[in-house]
Amino acid sequence: MSDVKIKSEILPDADPTATLLRVEDLRVEFHTRDGIAKAVNGASFSVESGETLAIVGESGSGKSVTSQAIMGILESPPARIAGGEVLFHNVDLLKLGKERARRVRGNHVAMVFQDALSALNPVWTVGFQLSELFRQHRGMSKKDAMARSLELLDLVKIPAAAQRLKEYPHQFSGGMRQRVMIAMALALDPDLLIADEPTTALDVTVQAQIMRLLKEIQIERHMGLILITHDLGVVADVADKISVMYAGRIVEQAPVLETFATPAHPYTKALLKSIPRLDTKGQRLEIIKGLPPVLTNLPPGCNFAPRCAYAQEICTRELPVLATVAADRAAACHFSSEVIQDV
Amino acid sequence: MGRYVIRRLLQAVLTFGVVMFLLHYLMSLAIQINGNPVRTFFGDKPVSPELLAATKAKFGLDDPCLSRVGDPCLNLFGKRMSDWASFDFGTNFNRADVSELILNAIPKTLQLFLIVTIVWVLFGITAGVLAAMRRGRFLDYLVRIGTTLTIAIPGFLLLILTQKIIGVWLGNWAREEFGRDSVLGIMFQPSYNARYPWLTLLVPGIVLGIFGIAGITRLSRTSMLENLRADFVRTAKAKGLRQRRVTIVHTLRNSLIPVITLIGFTLADALGGSVITEGIYGIPGMGKLAYDAVKKVDTPVIIAVTAILSVSYMLVNLLIDLLYAVLDPRIRYE
Repeated sequence: MSDVKIKSEILPDADPTATLLRVEDLRVEFHTRDGIAKAVNGASFSVESGETLAIVGESGSGKSVTSQAIMGILESPPARIAGGEVLFHNVDLLKLGKERARRVRGNHVAMVFQDALSALNPVWTVGFQLSELFRQHRGMSKKDAMARSLELLDLVKIPAAAQRLKEYPHQFSGGMRQRVMIAMALALDPDLLIADEPTTALDVTVQAQIMRLLKEIQIERHMGLILITHDLGVVADVADKISVMYAGRIVEQAPVLETFATPAHPYTKALLKSIPRLDTKGQRLEIIKGLPPVLTNLPPGCNFAPRCAYAQEICTRELPVLATVAADRAAACHFSSEVIQDV
Repeated sequence: MGRYVIRRLLQAVLTFGVVMFLLHYLMSLAIQINGNPVRTFFGDKPVSPELLAATKAKFGLDDPCLSRVGDPCLNLFGKRMSDWASFDFGTNFNRADVSELILNAIPKTLQLFLIVTIVWVLFGITAGVLAAMRRGRFLDYLVRIGTTLTIAIPGFLLLILTQKIIGVWLGNWAREEFGRDSVLGIMFQPSYNARYPWLTLLVPGIVLGIFGIAGITRLSRTSMLENLRADFVRTAKAKGLRQRRVTIVHTLRNSLIPVITLIGFTLADALGGSVITEGIYGIPGMGKLAYDAVKKVDTPVIIAVTAILSVSYMLVNLLIDLLYAVLDPRIRYE
């Protein structure tokens, strides 16, 4: 049976002409001892095939939780999806049965994790961990699955691939391990790839190589790519559009170039200012003062208000909604038109 | 790997020598302080010094060092070691061949410990893994309460209770209901029966297994819980693998590594525990041999049994270190 046929069997209702992934008003809560932590509070965004969406935000902004909710691998309890839809080719992945949802993972949506050393199982060979995808999802023989795994390692440009299949993750360098992770995610030719901080654990030269590899394969396969990161430098290079998350909400959504040129939300603006730059050498690096809000006790009004340079009285009372500020651009700020003009 | 095993075996020989010498010194001190055990052969009867000297000579207890408190008796130690090197374990005070006593006892203890190990692996690890999978639910509480109980109840009490309840009450009922030679009738006997070794070893084996099972179950549970939170388990889920495969292939093997160590230690503890078990159930194994020998201050047997126990302890530990490398590829011995 061909891969395509197997995949269409998993989601027979999928409409290939519909948007690849459309997340609508996603809400995720964590039930903790200190109360309910609202990790994601109504996130909405979309990705088309061949498009790269960067989700940007600081630690605890809900970006990783969002990606895990799309994958359906949130540990519940404590996590609970409190509302919203994850529409993959117009099929809501959140409403699928357990078995169908399992088969979607790897086949349609795949994920590259942050730290490949801990994300790969230390007690099995790389060949075993790659080939089990073909064996479990395609029912291939051990030999055929290994042959396919070999092709994958070649695809991600790992030298001496045949030998390396027999090695264990700890025998690989950081960059090579991340290539293995990418190979694993690509194995079943998914339509959507989610990369959760794929280069954070790597040194700078290797980061660039890994991002280039991801980008190349994405273009070649016409995949949708969601890139989760806090590294705005990476975003500028590879992403088409950007969604900025803060305290579980999307505060700004726009094509990358526009966002970088004229941010429409004070948080985005502050983030951009906090990137170290060569031409500002000798000056103090701007930081965002204060801490992100506690998710178990979100204040009324705008969550960024206590740290915001533009905040007025209204900000502590009224929660700004994500509204269009220009063509293709949206921001959740009462003063976005001022922010956008303020250079 | 081969070189590592050889190095470990050499270390074991050295350790063995030290253990043997300490044991020899303790036994010599016991004779030096308490008096020569040959005297007890005659009870209260008066003995002529000639007869006493002859008897001492017969049992190899005539060396003058045995009357000097604190003397390590190195010549006696050397003689014993060279005898052992030629597989001569001598005779005990009843003139029985020590090697024969031991060769008869070893299989029973091995059978007992095979049952014990199966109990640990089959019930101990399984219970721990299932409790981890059902964390915070009924089964988890059951396992946690059960393990606490087995730690809280002293071993000898458990043995005497099970002997009474299973061996006598349940056994009497089974023998009346199904007949004297029915499987249940034999299995629920209060003591060992040489005609049905496996069947009658089953109950004491399980009881002895319960001694160490709590730690093994608890550690399996914690180890599983820890690994279930691991990043690679999340990766396995993201790969769309079945839950069963995620648990068995991607969690269990990683979780077993610390459990294997514990099994090694527990096995050593249980070797000691077998003295009581074999004593209470009348199993003619190494434990009972040691039990009887200690009661009679039968030095040659005590030393030989301890030697065998320490050798098996060292072998078990080596085996466990080698098993590590099998379970965890990051461990390699050069």
